[in-house]
Amino acid sequence: MFCLKAAFALYAAATALAFTYLFSKDEKWSLWMLRLMGVGVAFHVASFGFRLALFWQIPENKYFLPINSFFGALSYLSLAVAAVFFVVEGRHRLGILGAFVLPWATIGAGAAVIFADPAIKGLSPALQSYWINIHPMVLMTAYAAFGNAFGVGVALLIQEHQIKSRKPTELCYRLPSIEELDNLNYRIIVFGFPVLTVGIIMGGIWAYNAWGRFWGWDAKETWAFITALIYAGFLHMRFVKGLRGRKAVYVSMIGFASVVFTFIGVNYLSELHGYLSGRG
Amino acid sequence: MSLILVGLSHKNAPLGVRENLAVLSQAKVFERLREAGASEAVVLSTCNRYELYVCFNGVESKPPSWALNLLEKISGMSLSAHAYQRGGPGAVEHLFSVASGLDSLVVGETEILGQVKDAYEAAVAAKMTGKYSNVLFQRALYVGKKVRNDTGVAVGQTSTASVAVQLAETIFGSLRGSSVLILGAGSMAELTARHLQSHKVAELLISNRTFSRAAGLAGEMKAEAIAWQMFPEALKKVDIVVSSTGSEKPILTADMVRSALEARAGRSLFIIDIAMPRDVEEAAAELDHVYLYRLEDLESIVADNLKNRGGEVRLAQELVAAKAKEFCAWESTLGTGKEASLKHSEAV
Repeated sequence: MFCLKAAFALYAAATALAFTYLFSKDEKWSLWMLRLMGVGVAFHVASFGFRLALFWQIPENKYFLPINSFFGALSYLSLAVAAVFFVVEGRHRLGILGAFVLPWATIGAGAAVIFADPAIKGLSPALQSYWINIHPMVLMTAYAAFGNAFGVGVALLIQEHQIKSRKPTELCYRLPSIEELDNLNYRIIVFGFPVLTVGIIMGGIWAYNAWGRFWGWDAKETWAFITALIYAGFLHMRFVKGLRGRKAVYVSMIGFASVVFTFIGVNYLSELHGYLSGRG
Repeated sequence: MSLILVGLSHKNAPLGVRENLAVLSQAKVFERLREAGASEAVVLSTCNRYELYVCFNGVESKPPSWALNLLEKISGMSLSAHAYQRGGPGAVEHLFSVASGLDSLVVGETEILGQVKDAYEAAVAAKMTGKYSNVLFQRALYVGKKVRNDTGVAVGQTSTASVAVQLAETIFGSLRGSSVLILGAGSMAELTARHLQSHKVAELLISNRTFSRAAGLAGEMKAEAIAWQMFPEALKKVDIVVSSTGSEKPILTADMVRSALEARAGRSLFIIDIAMPRDVEEAAAELDHVYLYRLEDLESIVADNLKNRGGEVRLAQELVAAKAKEFCAWESTLGTGKEASLKHSEAV
């Protein structure tokens, strides 16, 4: 728990630095942001390792990943966002986008630390399947991608507004161009959508094995389906109608709102996926 | 070792005098200096200034007025009314200030740094440099770069054409794949087009009511001329439109832009209207994916940039003074056997 708290504090500090960098042009903020992120990710990985050791002390949990609780899921999700950003930033030095992406890693880790119950329980028999090491991970990778797309989308809206206003500020010259942000948003979704789809299908196969049916319109299933539909709509409109820029970002933001609801809100509705309400 | 400088610049010398100096043969100047015993010298000659830096190595040094006299003899003109003269630390600081763009017509401009480099290289080629002038000029180039990196004197573009190009980059990123449509064949259109062309745009189309003028300009610029009635069709594929016709009424209506947008699949369209009166209907600015900038928008960005630079000048001057002092401290240890080091430590 200490390690996760440390990671959270480091992410929060890195986010603050990312915002400082956004409004000053001093490279040192960006460099320190990257360093703090690196240490934060290291602490986070350590925390995951400790948790795994504890989790495996319960015999029936052996060799399954501790992702059956809201705490585990949030922790993994924020680690994925942070690690992906750390790698991308280390390679491409897109520090300016840190301010739009890092808040998600911070919020994820913070929510795990503050709101989620870290208690470790034995896995129920239905969850004792190798699928638990795959199905949630795949979906959360897609979620992490969509979170990044959302951050890029916010940057695009700011940039669009700046240029449209005819009074661009310094920020305008430091953000990537409209076309680059638009392409990045699109490329991330092109990556995320098939991952989401595969994750949902895996869930169906697991459900068939565990519960004897592929699809049951459980709230989680329904909302995951809606999310996939929204992103499919985004890609369709992009390919067929040439939807770009501001309006495209709106669609991808609705998609992300649906992701957040599927991830958090649905736990109160779902009988089978309710790890937050403790029913799952 | 001592450095002297005589110079004439846009600040106090009339253009005619500067022009006469600019055509002086550099070889001749170097030859006369050698005859007089000066072994190291650099001539910095640009359209805004003519400066002669001379240093004496081992021989008895001379006052700056000596260089002025020499220059007057070579050019056959009386220069003392327009010239400035400096010696020692003052000359060092002046060179650093020039290299930093602080003495330029447009403060912070970067072209001067290249010109200082060229002047130095020309002196090297003429074997007119030695240890002192090598260190001095390499130091000047370093200070020029440092000032532009560490202060805001060079931030922001200072001409409407370069602001337009910069804005285009905030929309499209690299302009390498972009195509540009120029409406009108006047000098403003040409200037902006040349700026865009220097960023390697993929395609340049020129349209003008009088086709022969479009064709003429297109020939000069390796562009393609298109008939006036064809330009609404071209709107469907270009990324950037620069309009500067002499028309009394708008020639590019919002309806024309709207119907072009349908064929553009959501690609951005950047329209620059530098005509007076306007060429583009204001309603076009409301359309999605259309970014319309008028001459006054570009001018107000230029004015803001210049204002911001002004505040940074003092900071830059302080940096230049500190670096000049550092250099002079190094100079004073020359030949003492305990030469101070002059590292470009912060340069990396």
